[in-house]
This record gives sequence, C-alpha cells and structure tokens, in this order.
Amino acid sequence: MTRIDSADPPEANPPVRRRRSRPGPLGFVLESVRMAWRWLTRMRTALYLLGVLGVETLVATVVPQEPNVPRTVTAWRAGTEGPGETVSAFIDMIGAYDAYGSPVFLATLLLLFTSLTACLLPRTRAWWRIARSSRPPRTNHLGKQEQVARFETTAEPEEALATGRALLGRRRWRLRSPDADPGAEPQVAAEKGHVLREGGSLLFHLSFYVLLIGVVLGQLLGFSGQVGIIEGDEHSWTETQVAYWSSAPGRWWSGDDHRRFEVTLDRFDVDWHRDPAFGGQPSLFLSHVTVTHPDGSSREDTVGGNDPLVVDGMKIHQLDWGYAPRVVIEEDGQVVHDGFLTLSATEEGVWHGAAKAPAADPDIGLDLFLVPYAPTDEAGRPQITGAPWDDAPLLLFRQYVGDLRLEAAQGVNTLDLAGLVEMGNGALRPGRSVDLGEGVTVSFPELRRWVGFQVSRRPTVPLLLAGAVLVLLGLVPALYASRRRLWMTATADPSTGRTTVTVAGRAFQRPQAFAAEYEDLVRALRRELPAPADPPGPSPASENRTSDPRPPREQVVRR
Amino acid sequence: MTLAELSKLLFSPVTLLLYTTSMLAYLYAMAFTKVDRSADEAALAGNRARILGSALAVAGVAAHVAHILTRSIASGRWPRGNMFEFSSIMALTVVLGGLVILQWRMRRAEVMGFVLLGALITLGLSLLVYAEPAPLAPILDSWWRAIHVSAISLAAGIFTMGFVFNALHLLRDTAERRVAARTEAFGGSTVGAAFAGTPTDEDHDQLVDTVAERANPDPDALHDALHDDAYRLALRDALADRWLGVRFPWRIALGSIVVVTLFSLTFQRTSATLAMPLITLAIVGLAWWAVPYLPSASTLDSLAYRTIVFAFPIWTFAVITGAIWAEQSWGRYWGWDPKETSAFLTWVAYAGYLHARATRGMRGRGASWFGIVAFCVLMFTYFVVNLLITGLHSYAGL
Ligand code: HEM
Repeated sequence: MTRIDSADPPEANPPVRRRRSRPGPLGFVLESVRMAWRWLTRMRTALYLLGVLGVETLVATVVPQEPNVPRTVTAWRAGTEGPGETVSAFIDMIGAYDAYGSPVFLATLLLLFTSLTACLLPRTRAWWRIARSSRPPRTNHLGKQEQVARFETTAEPEEALATGRALLGRRRWRLRSPDADPGAEPQVAAEKGHVLREGGSLLFHLSFYVLLIGVVLGQLLGFSGQVGIIEGDEHSWTETQVAYWSSAPGRWWSGDDHRRFEVTLDRFDVDWHRDPAFGGQPSLFLSHVTVTHPDGSSREDTVGGNDPLVVDGMKIHQLDWGYAPRVVIEEDGQVVHDGFLTLSATEEGVWHGAAKAPAADPDIGLDLFLVPYAPTDEAGRPQITGAPWDDAPLLLFRQYVGDLRLEAAQGVNTLDLAGLVEMGNGALRPGRSVDLGEGVTVSFPELRRWVGFQVSRRPTVPLLLAGAVLVLLGLVPALYASRRRLWMTATADPSTGRTTVTVAGRAFQRPQAFAAEYEDLVRALRRELPAPADPPGPSPASENRTSDPRPPREQVVRR
Repeated sequence: MTLAELSKLLFSPVTLLLYTTSMLAYLYAMAFTKVDRSADEAALAGNRARILGSALAVAGVAAHVAHILTRSIASGRWPRGNMFEFSSIMALTVVLGGLVILQWRMRRAEVMGFVLLGALITLGLSLLVYAEPAPLAPILDSWWRAIHVSAISLAAGIFTMGFVFNALHLLRDTAERRVAARTEAFGGSTVGAAFAGTPTDEDHDQLVDTVAERANPDPDALHDALHDDAYRLALRDALADRWLGVRFPWRIALGSIVVVTLFSLTFQRTSATLAMPLITLAIVGLAWWAVPYLPSASTLDSLAYRTIVFAFPIWTFAVITGAIWAEQSWGRYWGWDPKETSAFLTWVAYAGYLHARATRGMRGRGASWFGIVAFCVLMFTYFVVNLLITGLHSYAGL
C-alpha cells in the first residue's frame, strides 16, 4: 500500500470553469454536464439550496396546507378567510396550498440530494484514503507552529524520540513511521482527530439517505386509516379496507395486508377539570377496548392519548372523540331510523350532526345539536352552557322533509338542504320522545360516546429512528472533534552532553482545548525523560507561546 | 400569601431586579477594566464590580429556580405547559449558560452584561405571554414531551446567547473595519482616524480630558493610553451618523426598530408595539456605548460559533424527540404541522450558518448575518407560529 501524507479534505468550493473540449454539439453537452456536476459539488450551492428549502418551508408555515387543514384552505379559496380570492388564486398557481407535494419542493429536494451525492462522493473517497493509508506529514517549520516548547534532558536523542513516540501511541495519536524518510533528520510527526471529524461529518450527511429511504419506503409500504367506534356497540369493528371512514394506503399496500382483527369499545372514560378557572380543560381520555384476533383469541386493553395499542404490527391511536346520541325516528309506527350518530364538536361547545331517514316517505332529515350541559333553571327552562361534560344533555333539532339527495356525496353530519323543506323543531332530554305531527315521532333513548381511532402501519419507523440516531452520532464528532498535529525533534548538544527536545503542535479547530492538551502532553513527556541535575542558567527551560492560562485573546478560530 | 402569589413575587420583581442589577454591574466592570487596564486601582474597581455582578446573577438564578419550583408545586406539575414557562426556562438557560460556560469555563466575563441583557429581553417577552399556572392537557402529558420541550428550551436559550454574540460581532466588526479603512487613508494613525470622520468638539474634549486625568508620568504609557483611547473613540465614532445634530448609530437603530416593530405586532398589544421600539433604541444606544470595550471582532465571532455549535446538536435531538412524541400521541412522526415545519426551518437556518462558517468568503460577517437570520427564524417559530398560526401544538395556553 502506498502511503500518502494526509492533507486537508477536498476543497469545498472548487472553481467551475469551462475547459476546452472536443468540438461539436456532443462536446458541448458533455462539458455542460461536467460543469453542472462541478457546480453541484460546491458547498456554496448547497447553501443556496438550503436557503431555497428554507423559503419554501416558510411559505408552507404561513399558508395553510391542504393535507393538514382542508377546511381553512377551502375558506381561503372562497375568500371568506385569509387574504382574499386574488391572492388565493396566486397561491394555488404556485401550488403553495400543498407545498410539500408541489413540484418545486420535490425539485429542490432532488437538487439537494444530488448536490449531497456530488459533494459526498469525493469527500468519502478522500476520507477513505486518508483513514486507510495516510501518514502525518513532517514539518520544516517547527518553530513557527502555534505551540512550541523546548526543554533539556540527559537522555539520548533516539531515546527521547522513542519515549515521545510511545507516549503519543498510548494516547492514540497516529504516528508517522520512523522509517518513512530515510536520510532525513529524525522527527516524530503525529496527528489526531482528522479521521474522526471528517468521518463524523460524512456520517451525518450520509444518514440523510437513510432518512430519505425511510420516508419514501414508508410512504409506499405504509397504511393509515381512521374510524369512529361507538361505545358499547354490540357489533364489533373489523379491520378491513372497507371498514374505515377514510384511509391512506401506500402504493405497495394491498388489501391482503389488512389484519382483520376485531375491535369493540367497551367503555370510554373522559373527564374534565371542573374548576371554572381552568375553563373545562380535559383531564382524562381513555378507551377500554377488546381486541379479537382472527384465530378467536381476544384480550382487553386500553388506548390512551399518549399510549397507543399495537395489534399485529398495527398501531391504534385514540385521536378524537365525540358524543353519540341514539336517535329513533318513527313514521306511522314504522321505525325509519334507529342508530347512534357520531356528532362532531363545534367551536361554541355544542355538538353537531344529522340524522337521515331515506326510508321515510318523503325523506326525513334532522339537523341536530347536542348541548352536553344544559341544566334546568327555576323557571323550568334549560340553560345553554358551553361546558363539555354531559351532566344534563339536551338534544335540539330541526326537522326537514323532501329529498335527501343521498346519491350525491355529502358529509355524514350535514344535510344537503337543496331538496329539503324545513318543517319544525324540537328539543329532547334523554329517554324522551316528541310527536312532530303527521305520524312522525322522534325519540332520544340514550347518549353514548364515540371515539375516533387511527389505525396505522408504518414499517419504516425503526429505520427512521436509526437514521436519526446516526445523524446525532455523526454530528457530535463533526462539530466537536478537532484536527491537530504534533511534531517532536531531539538534538544532542555535544558541549553539555544534553539533548534539547522541541515539541511543536497546531490545532485546526478548537485551539483553546488543544492548548490544554498540549501542555499536558509536554508535562507528561518531561516526567518520563530524565531531567538534568541542575537547571541551566537564567534562560527559561520551556518556552510556551501561550503562557497565559487564559486563551490568547485575538485568536482566529478556524470554524 | 398563597404559593402561587409567592411564586409570582419571586419572578417579578425579585428575579427581574436581580438580573437587571447584575447586568449593570457587569457592564460597569466591562467598561472599567478596559478603560484603565494600566491603573491597578481602576482594574480593582472593575474586578469588584464583576464579582458583584456574578453574585447578583447567582442570587437571580436562585430566585428564578425558586420561582419555578413554587410554581410547579402550585400547579402540581412540571413547568412545561405554556409559553410563559417555556420562555422563563429559556432565560434561565441563558443566565446559567453564561455563568457556567462563559464566565467559569471560558473566562469571558466581560460579555456577561450582554448575556444578561439577552436573558432580560426573553423574560420581558415571557411577561407578554403570561398565563396562570394550569393543569396540563392529557395529550401533553408524556415523557417524550418532557424531554422534547426541555431540549428545545435549552437549545433556544443557548441560541439566544449565540445571537447576542453574532449581533455584537457584526457591530464590532463594522466599527473595526471602518476604523481600519480610515486609518489607511490617514497614514496608519488611529489617532488620526479618531478625527477622520466628522470630528466634534465633544470628542476632542473627551479625549483631552481622559489624557489629562491620567496621572501616570511614564511617557510610553501615556502614549499607549492615548493610542488606546483614541482607538476606542474611533470605534464608536465609526458607527455613528449625524441626524438632527445628534451623533448616534441612527441607521443601525432604524434597521433594528423596523424589525422589532414588525415582530411586536405578533403580540397584538398596543403597549408592546409602543414600548418595544423604544427599548430597542435604548439597547442600540447601550451596545454603541459598549462597542469599544467589547472583545475583538474575531473573538466575538468565535464565541458565537462555539455557542451555536453547542446548541445545534441539542436542537437536532429536540426535533427528533418531537417526532417520536408525535408518533406516540398523534400516530404520525411528521405531519408538516406549522410548528414542526418551523422547527425544521430553524434547524435548516442554523445548518446554513454552520455551512456559511465553513465556506470561504462567507466566514465572518456573512456567516454572522446567517446567524442573525437563523435567530429571527427561531423567534418566528416560537412567537409568530404559536400566537398567530394555529396548529396541533396549541399549548401556548393563552
Ligand atoms: C441536506 C441538507 C444539509 C444539511 C442539513 C447539512 C448540515 C451540515 C452541518 C450541520 C454541518 C456542520 C458539520 C461540520 O462542521 O462538519 C455540515 C458540514 C458540511 N456540509 Fe453539509 N448539510 C447539508 C447538505 C450538504 C451538501 C449538499 C453539501 C455539499 C455540497 C454539504 C457539504 C458540507 C461540507 C463540505 C461540510 C463540512 C464543512 C467543514 O467541516 O469544513 N452539506 N453540513
């Protein structure tokens, strides 16, 4: 193996110049590709790309994102919220409502990763060469280094150098072989930290690939779906594609990947701080569930806010909850609707939903509001409050008849009023019913709750975690390890019979830390070498440029 | 007095006053030790002031910790629930970091005055988002969240220190460069440079006064002192512009005030929007006064770098634990929620600073501007996103 003197890492900003190349269009194209590649390998380019990524992210922070808050985006598009329709049209044009899915963002990522690759290939190659076969270089400017110390010993020069070598070796410095320079004046040359620092930086940058692979594979292989389950429902919910309210399967996720376990929600505990000072903050959400596997075995467990349940590799999170009143509608003694409604919360503290009875003739629709806490005052009237606990629930509704237009897409909790006529309204306490005339009665037998679960499978989470750990493992040496070099010579003085030892050092980073390390090394070396009996004359035995224990004031630290 | 009231009292006025007096003592020490390094007596006075400053800062930390403890006992949980608590911890990190790392480890007590100023500004902002202690929503009650939030406030505190150094570096560097440019034009004499800009009579008088007051008969020392003082005056002069007959760093003040006024709109309070520009003006004046006493530009630059390099892995770790917490409680590790997005943005911005430091031609001033921008992004992440942009992370508690 040929040994090379270790050198600086490759230039971070190599110049991009057009070389004379083969004439003709092919030469031009080749040369342009070469230039583009060179340009991409420049760190300055990476800096610009990071800047562009930053600006895009900033836009996405300020502009509502469709995948996150679709309702806000709809309002912005309609101009009822946000900066108005014109600006909104512009935002749409540049794709900023879905910034992370927009071509601009993907192009930036692609360029960034290309740049990363272009930058890392030569760096990795150089690092590998240095790590395997480099040797610390000699110096011809011993006296000009940052740190220089001289002292005398009675040991022979070769012995002094050997002692120095052994000491540095014990402290894990990389040493230049004494046989590397036949004929030259003997010199100890040592180096430390360069492999670690550059290696850490490379590991840090390389782990972005791990993260990228983790995210992309996760998108392709993963699955997540949402479903609401009603407390105490006797029909259990089965994990299949069609059972979800909404789902986002990855491209490589197939229907066979569903686990087909069954879930029932036995009980849902919810409570609040009822002290008015805390405004009814929730204090407890906990779902008690029974999970039955396809093989018939079953177990009881809980799902909490920060405590998902893992079933057959799928994670069940409790995301959401709401009140679920059972509403029965009868027409001429026939039950045309009987079921639990999954109401959704509104900002005013009341819960909203709709009951739809297409079996009636004509269709009947109820637009419902539930006030969980509406105690009756002295006059016998219900007091509407915003408190979330269901100590005195009251169901308010408006009755519509006509055509529900169920063939068109509509939300479960809203009515399409286009084909409906308002008939009347009513209010119900649990266990009561009301006669609406024309043979229609509505009853509200009981109030339960429903819980919104997310069931997901993200097979690459461990990979992502490993990537994140690698990022940190690389970052710490990349930022804190410092590259430093040390040299040592020993010359015999025939007139006194003593040997003068010179130790010089320099750090490429963190000079203050190096100064301390250096002092310690020199001290250890002096301890190991026999000192002359009488310290000669007034001239200081040791000359250390940084005699001040404080770091030198005007030191320029490289990075 | 209830525990909650005691806790409030410990915060304001006790902690605030201790920090303020400590800052003043440190600033005094900085100016005094520098002006008269040769005169032992003055150096001693400076030294005493520094010791006083440290003692006050330590007492302030004690009161601050006592405040946090009593508050946690009063609310029955760790203080990680809302923005006020977060800012308070961030300020505590700034002071503690200054005492332990700067003063004790790096022996750089002279910049402590400004570090305390940074902490005080953070505390002032925290009062704008003050909230009574309240119980935590169950979704926020998780170990990962505790780790995540601690790491975030630690890193944000250290980044704040880094910002102080970046800003001082730019100020000092500008002054040094301008003086150097003028000195060249005037044949290499800094004394000449002191008068090169637009010499005013006050400048001249002050210079003569300082020289006359010096009772040191040694002509060499006199020359050195004159030289030093002239250099200091020149540094200060280099940053000033004349406007309405007053010499002041008007342009710097204007730039800072514009940025701060925009930022103050976040709080949607007239008092904040009125007070913050005035405070900014005072801070610019203070920094201007202090420019001659600061360490050299390259020292400030290296302090800034070392501080930010210390905080960056902590921030990285905090973002990772945030993702772990999100996976645990919302069932997705990353959802481009505004808060997540802006934490990522802050990370990218500081990575930009680190790259700029490593890019030839950007090292120094260019990199420091990156650092300033990155800190603005951090403030955006923290205040603007929490107060103006709603996301899942609605823990501001307002
Ligand atoms: C994906 C986004 C990137 C991030 C977040 C990032 C982050 C960082 C960080 C934090 C450092 C400081 C560590 C150190 O000082 O060694 C660093 C160093 C470095 N980065 Fe990046 N980087 C990214 C992309 C790139 C790209 C695309 C290139 C190449 C064109 C690049 C080239 C470098 C180089 C050469 C260093 C070492 C500087 C030195 O030590 O002199 N980085 N990067």
